[in-house]
Amino acid sequence: MARSRLQLFQKRPLQPRSEVWLRNITMFCMLAFYITFFIVPIGMAFVGSFHDWNPMNGKYVKVGVSNYVALLSNETFWLSVKNTLLFCAVVVFFRALLGFLCAYAIYSKTVRGKNFFLTMYYMPVIAPLVAVTFIWKFMYEPKVGLINTLLGLSVNWLKNKNTALLAVMIMTVWKDFGYAVVLYMAGLMGLSEEVLEAAKVDGCNGLQLLKSVVLPLLRPTTLLIIVASIISYLQAYVQVLVLTEGGPGTSTYLTSYLIYNEAFVKFSFGSASAMSFVLFVFTAVATAISFKIQAGKAA
Amino acid sequence: MKKKLLSVLLACTMVLGLCACGDQAGSAAPEDTADTVQTQAAADTATADSASSETTADTATVSDQAFGDTIKYDPTVPVNNGEPISIDYWLWTSDELWQSVMDKYMAIHPNVTINTINNPYDDYWVKLPLALEGADGPTLFNMHISYHDSVIKNLAPYDIPLEDIRADFNNVEPHVIDGQVYYLDTGVMTGSIFYNKDMWEAAGLTEADIPETWDEFFEVAKKLTIREDGQLIQAGFEFNNYINSNYLMGIQYQLGQNMFNDDMKTVTINNDAEVKVMQMLLDAYNVYEVGEADFCEDSIVSFATGQTAMVSSWGWLNDYMKANFPDINFGVFQVPVFDKNNIYAYNRSNTESTFGINKNADPAQIAVAQDIVKFLLADNESLLNLALGQSVFPTKKSLANDPALEQNAALYCLKDTVDQYVFPGALPSFFETYLAEAGEEILYNGVDIRTALQTAEDKINADLAGMDFTACEDAYTPRK
Repeated sequence: MARSRLQLFQKRPLQPRSEVWLRNITMFCMLAFYITFFIVPIGMAFVGSFHDWNPMNGKYVKVGVSNYVALLSNETFWLSVKNTLLFCAVVVFFRALLGFLCAYAIYSKTVRGKNFFLTMYYMPVIAPLVAVTFIWKFMYEPKVGLINTLLGLSVNWLKNKNTALLAVMIMTVWKDFGYAVVLYMAGLMGLSEEVLEAAKVDGCNGLQLLKSVVLPLLRPTTLLIIVASIISYLQAYVQVLVLTEGGPGTSTYLTSYLIYNEAFVKFSFGSASAMSFVLFVFTAVATAISFKIQAGKAA
Repeated sequence: MKKKLLSVLLACTMVLGLCACGDQAGSAAPEDTADTVQTQAAADTATADSASSETTADTATVSDQAFGDTIKYDPTVPVNNGEPISIDYWLWTSDELWQSVMDKYMAIHPNVTINTINNPYDDYWVKLPLALEGADGPTLFNMHISYHDSVIKNLAPYDIPLEDIRADFNNVEPHVIDGQVYYLDTGVMTGSIFYNKDMWEAAGLTEADIPETWDEFFEVAKKLTIREDGQLIQAGFEFNNYINSNYLMGIQYQLGQNMFNDDMKTVTINNDAEVKVMQMLLDAYNVYEVGEADFCEDSIVSFATGQTAMVSSWGWLNDYMKANFPDINFGVFQVPVFDKNNIYAYNRSNTESTFGINKNADPAQIAVAQDIVKFLLADNESLLNLALGQSVFPTKKSLANDPALEQNAALYCLKDTVDQYVFPGALPSFFETYLAEAGEEILYNGVDIRTALQTAEDKINADLAGMDFTACEDAYTPRK
């Protein structure tokens, strides 16, 4: 140990001047980028959350914590928080579940054309979200929409408070579960054949193999999918913007959509910043909980 | 080979997907909020109109003589000393109507290049205020009165004497700020009833049946409603998705109820008149059974696709229908009233605006923009084309009796009563947001009318409290 520390402090061999320049320039650009587009705006938003701030008319008046206090009594905000948590939980769960089931099915040795299925499942992921959402909006039309026509239903999916958020969730899961398919497929391909063979030799049936070998080995992939999904879905708003505009009434407001409205419709940047920081805390807590749960399972 | 086939298949699928996306985006326009649509659609349809019989853009002529009423424009005076100059001009959606104005101007001044930049309406009002704050904002842009507060501090005043503007135009006073104007109205618009003439005829109705009161209206609507086995096949009347802009923000004027209290700074939404309007709408579905909340998510789409016989809409629908749904044979009549012997006003009015000029632009570019504004205000041909294309009643005094207006049904039905509409001022866009929420809470979520209206009133007043806004409803004088 003492030796390795000593090695650390030994002078490194002289690097070519050009390499040093390249390194410094690269680091400077990266730092400048992050500082300009992340650190400074986040700092400005944090300070702005304590102000009555409207950049359109130049208003910037210090109001202390009143933007945060106002949130406590803002029913729409808390409804949006509830909706966001529900939306996030349901969509993350089904994205991971469907993603795993499809990937496991494709992974089967009896399935041919694996690349075809992977491509088909992944295509919605790379399709533009706004375009896909507009298509789904038409599919949800109560009289002439494809969904009601196929299912023989007469449901006003987007204007019924009991189905509107569900409709947004269904569209989002359909759009995004291909991402989980590809990641799980990569995880499955990385599993050691020897371990799987050994489990079979030890008498594992298919279900036991899945439950006791495959799923535990895929835990890092699951964690990645869940954490990435949570971060993504806590910020979701495009679906709501296009499909329901928060309606009927306020029943499908998600927090990010509310923030968008506050900032870019009402130009109330102060309260939008306060909401953003509350959302930031939720995201951090949800991510930490996911790590904790996964770490607990791994132990 | 397999891989090649697969690639071709996938490529075709993506292309088809993109085609489908394009179509959807286009048809989605009417599902936006009303003001969004009215301007978007007016812009959309301008293209078709410029080629239709209603506008005269194709026959636009470039004069080498000074023209105009009080505001005169002399095309022989060089701009920027004849040196080449270019400016950016922003507008929303593809709009050959406005482009024809620019083309006409550039034909007079070939040294001026106007770079027209299109933006979707919703993005436009996010991007434009931010762009005007910086150094890269457009020199010239299309304005909308709903977004007055978002851009006013970056507007340059028109470099035209106010008395000349007053001499040529109506409706100038709401735009005067400290003796200057920053934009004007090309025309005034409002809501009317659009009806499907073929359905009207099939129901045995004639022009003599055009209703003047709401009671008469619902009797007609019942005749236009078709059900088979209890299922609604054809709605006589629908209002889905437009409760806010077409009803709660206008029909209450018929009962003498303003949106604003006497201070003109706070609103009253939870009042007897608004309750009566909302109850009338609910009765249309629940009592008269002439439509259903779940029939079609958007009543304008339903009308445009031949599923509904009558809808209320603002004038933009006239051109939108002609451009996008030419097979629908429709007419327009004035919105009915509760009591035809006691009319305070028919509805709310709003306006389409002239250009805004970015005061932060280069002075030479600002000078060009000022010249374009002067050209537009002096050029009756362009203003008439805009009025017809946007279905707005022209504010230029000399165009008020132009025979060409008779070609536009949405304008013609207003000819005798255009002074009986209340202009409340440049209402902030959250009015529509909160009243749309209230309407949906009542119609779809079963919330009590008073509760929903009170929630909307509280939200609007809370937001107004943070603004320096004064309505001008008190400037309206009802006919004696």
